Amino acid sequence: MSLRLALALALSGLPLGAMYALQAMGIVLVYKTSGVFNFAQGAIGMAAAYVASGLGVSLGLPAWLAVLGAVLFGGVLGVVIERFTIRPAKGALPRTIITLGWLLALQGLVGLVFGTELGRRPVSLFSPDTAVRIDALATAFGWDQLGVLVTALAVAGGLGLFFRRSPLGVAMRAVSEGADAARLLGIRVRVVTLAAWALGAGLAALAGVLVTPLLGTLDTVGLVVFTIQALAAALVGGLTSLPLTFAGGILLGMGQPVIGRLLGSPAGVNELIALAVVLGALLLRRRTGRGDSGADGLEPAPLRPLPKGRAAGIAAGAVAAALVLPVLIGGPQANFQLAGLLAWALAVLSLVLLAGVVGQVSLCQAFFMAVGAYGAGIFMSHGVSFLAALPLGALLAAAVAAVVGIPALRLRGLELAIATLSLAFAADRYFFRWTPLVGKDTVRPLPRPGFTDEVLHGVAGARAYTLLVAAVLVLCAWWVASLRRGRTGAALTALRSSTAATAAMGFSVTSLKLRGFAASGFVAGLAGVLFSGLSHIAGYAPFDFTRSISLLAYAVIAGIGSVPGAVVGGAIVTLSALSVGGGSGEIPSGDAASVVTILTGAALIAVVAGAPMGLAGLVSRLRDRVASPPPAPPPAAPPPSERTDETTEIVIVTASQSERFGPDTSQTAQVGKKGRRP
Amino acid sequence: MSLLEVRGVTVRFGGVTAVDGLSLDVHAGEIVGLIGPNGAGKTVTFNVITGLQRPGAGTVRLDGVDVTAMPPHARARLGLGRTFQIVQLYAGMTVLDNLAVAAHRFTTAGLVADALRLPSRGRSLAEAAERARAVLEFLDLSHLAAVDAGSLPVGHARLVELARALCLRPSVLLLDEPASGLDPAETDAFVRLLARIRGTIGCAMLLVEHDMSVVMPLCDHVYAMDFGRPLTDGTPDEVRAHPDVVAAYLGTVTA
Repeated sequence: MSLRLALALALSGLPLGAMYALQAMGIVLVYKTSGVFNFAQGAIGMAAAYVASGLGVSLGLPAWLAVLGAVLFGGVLGVVIERFTIRPAKGALPRTIITLGWLLALQGLVGLVFGTELGRRPVSLFSPDTAVRIDALATAFGWDQLGVLVTALAVAGGLGLFFRRSPLGVAMRAVSEGADAARLLGIRVRVVTLAAWALGAGLAALAGVLVTPLLGTLDTVGLVVFTIQALAAALVGGLTSLPLTFAGGILLGMGQPVIGRLLGSPAGVNELIALAVVLGALLLRRRTGRGDSGADGLEPAPLRPLPKGRAAGIAAGAVAAALVLPVLIGGPQANFQLAGLLAWALAVLSLVLLAGVVGQVSLCQAFFMAVGAYGAGIFMSHGVSFLAALPLGALLAAAVAAVVGIPALRLRGLELAIATLSLAFAADRYFFRWTPLVGKDTVRPLPRPGFTDEVLHGVAGARAYTLLVAAVLVLCAWWVASLRRGRTGAALTALRSSTAATAAMGFSVTSLKLRGFAASGFVAGLAGVLFSGLSHIAGYAPFDFTRSISLLAYAVIAGIGSVPGAVVGGAIVTLSALSVGGGSGEIPSGDAASVVTILTGAALIAVVAGAPMGLAGLVSRLRDRVASPPPAPPPAAPPPSERTDETTEIVIVTASQSERFGPDTSQTAQVGKKGRRP
Repeated sequence: MSLLEVRGVTVRFGGVTAVDGLSLDVHAGEIVGLIGPNGAGKTVTFNVITGLQRPGAGTVRLDGVDVTAMPPHARARLGLGRTFQIVQLYAGMTVLDNLAVAAHRFTTAGLVADALRLPSRGRSLAEAAERARAVLEFLDLSHLAAVDAGSLPVGHARLVELARALCLRPSVLLLDEPASGLDPAETDAFVRLLARIRGTIGCAMLLVEHDMSVVMPLCDHVYAMDFGRPLTDGTPDEVRAHPDVVAAYLGTVTA
């Protein structure tokens, strides 16, 4: 590539880079003041772009008014998100998961209000006529590109002034340095946080509105995937400095066309580059010790002793009967619906294994399903039978999951969520178009057994297949429960509590985590093969990033760490699809899909903000209440100056312990220094 | 040949030399103390031996095997047990389960055994629980078996951590300031317990400690260090009387 071409390409990426920068600055702003990573940033921009299009194109308002309205809409949306959903929740990761709920809800809402069909015209402030021609590089800029660039620069400059001069801007900087210290200085942290969200969402909206004419299309997916670029730019800026973030966005925008050309411009190369940047920046951050040691993994569900003996037997029998009955009496349709439900239950189970047992979070679980399905397709194209391709495809998914687990050795919690979500985005744009995996037509035939039988003998094949899916689910559920109570489960549980102590007991932390990821990927892969087998085709459509996010949502809603919860989660997927006419667990389309997405998002927000342990947690709390009378309300913690109760208790403990060590313990045990907790 | 052999270990952080050419030996059945005032480099030395810190120079040998480059878990498998200065029990798990994690070093059941419920799985769990119970019994801690380890007061937590390390059947036990956070009576009891462990189990121990009341009655041999450098070593009485040690602990009187 000639230098001239490289320069021209880099310049052509400038306007898009400016948009990455705007989005990323919004993310960093919110992250710095509230510690929450707003994954809905792209979705807010998408919603704002639709609002602008609605105002400008449908209602015929002038373009500048439509844009202004859309940006205001974004700001108000930010306020609503913070005030009513983020604030009631506790902890950085749960709050970040709430923004995923908003991502889904916004996607669904926009689809419902504006329709999901393509071809909607975006509002454009600037005309695409050529404004500047640079003959030396044989390139030209349109007014639209130039206008976007100048607007972004003006906004960035304005933000700089805002943070230096205005009282609110200075207060925001103070809060981002330390909320408690700011509070002591009399800054109203809540108001400042709210303002930061309004500003961050406003930036998202502005970027969304400005970028749509450049991209040329307006749809509910593209601008959400755009989030990956903002994540990359924000991470280049180190998640702290807004000027660096701006530079990161510009740099990313200019670099992508150049690197993309060098790689042969495959589809989705920009997302691939962004993924590489995200992973590289996250790992570098860890290495240099700038990561957030405070952001820990998902709140693990309290490990309850699993039911044993007769109760478990009866429960298992009842579930089995409920599952088998429709198989025996139902027609092919009922069988397929049940098989779809069971396959999704298996997918949720894979996440229960990862989040509930290993204590890691994954936002690319549907990608592992797709890998399993395509993998099985590849094996079948080489003459392997379906029943052999099923575990082989799942093993391929396990291998990919283990590779994904390698960065997870260094990352955790929030960072792992960023990394896996970026992978899900990049999968949509790049890996699902990568021919070695998906084949030439992005579908691979997956002729399951029973397919020809159905054609010939009606329901028999469908029944057999449903029983196969049920058997795999039961085996995997058994495995997860068994693993959790076994040797590996003990070590994994220990690992979540103390890494150093677990290594000191002779367990390799690396091996434990990778095995956890691989096991989860294996189960997800099985789910992917079995679900795809329903339609005899391995395709990527059911496994997009929305599905990955939904799967986490279902796992959280059902209760992370609960094996029965997985089945509940799978039932939610299928029932929600069925209730709107999707059938056999297929992805419903049109308004129905929008409704399901909205409900999923809303439920995720409600559960995280209100019932962190999910449905399973609610059920077990209810069970405890029924089993035993409600415990007396715990006494309020005494103020530090009056902690006599605790001190007494410790003295008693000390004395009894001393007695155990020998008869000649002196009486000083009771008057000695009080034990203190380290 | 000594069980644990540290030779010429040097650790530098930037321009600061935290440990400078330290050597020490722990022989079978011996209790060895490593003392020094705060900042002497004791904890860094400890981390070098357990594998959390790679030394810039020098070697660590465990039972003749060079473990200098090995990760912590590999050293644990070779028989190096340890406790932590700030107790690191697995909160949310019972005391018995805490011990069972360590006892699982001697069991083998993995993911496949879990999936197929191979006989090895049940055997693993039974063996680990049995070993954990035996150790609790030995330390008179059986009454704590079902207690959540996270709820223990520090005195009990230190004992449980010691019990957990013993479940590894260590040939060398490393104790990082085991008396910190204990009152004098608890310290006294702890010292007698360590003596009893030496008498019955016979594993060697390396105590990193600045509390003289722990080191003096227990140790066969004491190494003293200050500013990262070895000061002296010998019997507790010799070391206590050594002028450099007195100076390091009490400061020197400049004439």
